[in-house]
Amino acid sequence: MAEQKTVRFIIERQDGPDAKPYTQEFDVPYRPGLNVVAALMEIQKNPVTVDGKKVAPVVWECNCLEKVCGACMMVINGKARQACCSLVDKLDQPIHLAPARTFPVIRDLLIDRSVMFESLKRIQGWVEVDGTWEVKDAPIQNPYTAQTAYEISHCMTCGCCLEACPNVGPQSDFIGPAPTVQAYLFNLHPLGKFDAPKRLNALMEKGGITSCGNSQNCVEVCPKKIKLTTYLAQLNRDVNKQALKNIFNH
Amino acid sequence: MFHTTFYLRRLHSLVGLLILGGVIFEHIFTNSMAIGGAAALNGALAMMELIPHPIFLAIEVCAIAVPLLFHGIYGVYIALQAKNNPRQYGFCRNWQFALQRWTAWYLVVFLIWHIGYLRIFTKGITGTPISYELLHNLFTSSPITTVLYILGMFAAIFHFCNGITTFCMTWGIAKGPRVQKVIACLSTLLCIVMCLITLVFMGSYFVM
Repeated sequence: MAEQKTVRFIIERQDGPDAKPYTQEFDVPYRPGLNVVAALMEIQKNPVTVDGKKVAPVVWECNCLEKVCGACMMVINGKARQACCSLVDKLDQPIHLAPARTFPVIRDLLIDRSVMFESLKRIQGWVEVDGTWEVKDAPIQNPYTAQTAYEISHCMTCGCCLEACPNVGPQSDFIGPAPTVQAYLFNLHPLGKFDAPKRLNALMEKGGITSCGNSQNCVEVCPKKIKLTTYLAQLNRDVNKQALKNIFNH
Repeated sequence: MFHTTFYLRRLHSLVGLLILGGVIFEHIFTNSMAIGGAAALNGALAMMELIPHPIFLAIEVCAIAVPLLFHGIYGVYIALQAKNNPRQYGFCRNWQFALQRWTAWYLVVFLIWHIGYLRIFTKGITGTPISYELLHNLFTSSPITTVLYILGMFAAIFHFCNGITTFCMTWGIAKGPRVQKVIACLSTLLCIVMCLITLVFMGSYFVM
């Protein structure tokens, strides 16, 4: 029988949040259609390095396995992307895996992305429905902006854009493209637009949209192909108008 | 709620494009007179001397020194917030993003030398007027100085022209990818033209 074809993985590992990173290499049996998540599952089943040393299985996060949830975002061959839709056949080998270090690393490839949730809270990434008013039928969406809203609503807060953005990281307080652009989604909403000035004012604060440096990496790496730079420019327009209102309306 | 960061950033953008961009154009315009020889450049410099001294000094302080210090110091703060990654993400705009910061670092050092030596030391302290002969001597006596000056001009021109592209994004003027590309192409063209003019007037010192 012909020898089993294998795929070499070079994985950047880390035992805990403050532990020193190190690399380990694994050979995974090749099969057609193999993706990075499936390969990591193989490693989990048989966590033996190429030197034949049995080690602790590699820790990572995944959920939907169809590029919808965003959980399996990691740095694959130097680029931030989803592991579930990264086909081995389309990647240069050996395949390098590393955690997205823009976020705090919990262990191995597992990262803590809760900072994005905090940012969504900052920009009021929701629609206010509870109040003293009567809740009637849902308002109709503007048919001219519904396509745009649908597109932005695809954002799965995977964090690819934050990982690729040179202005996001411990050296900066930028909340990143994904949470920023979500403000535009909720400003488009027929009820959410009532709070548009609130969101725009939040974006004008330190770490908001002004921290964008126009490197445009976000739009290049977005796995959902959201036109982030277009909406960032739109939000820039909107915050400028808001600033004029802030100055001249009082 | 007063958004200090927002206004500082927008001011930084405006000052860079309108005021410091004007300073670059003035420099290219005046210095390109060197192509016409000593008489032409000295004539242009004499024209500027016609402006009464106190007014000229006020212009220098308000339209160059203060904007430049603000743009430079706040710019260093901005540059420190970036972790340049063009080798990892080698997209064209990401290279331009990194170059915008690298040219900025070069310009900080270059401008301290350029202004410190020519404006403050030579013109201010020793009282020697800037003339074709002085510049001719400065450049022809030291090829390193010439190279550093050409690099300084190239850095300033790139920083300015890339600044036009990002200005249009930052102010929400150019929203979609098509118009952003058109503006990027036009500013690249402007960058090339300004660099060529610089090469010609710097080269003219060595021809004549």
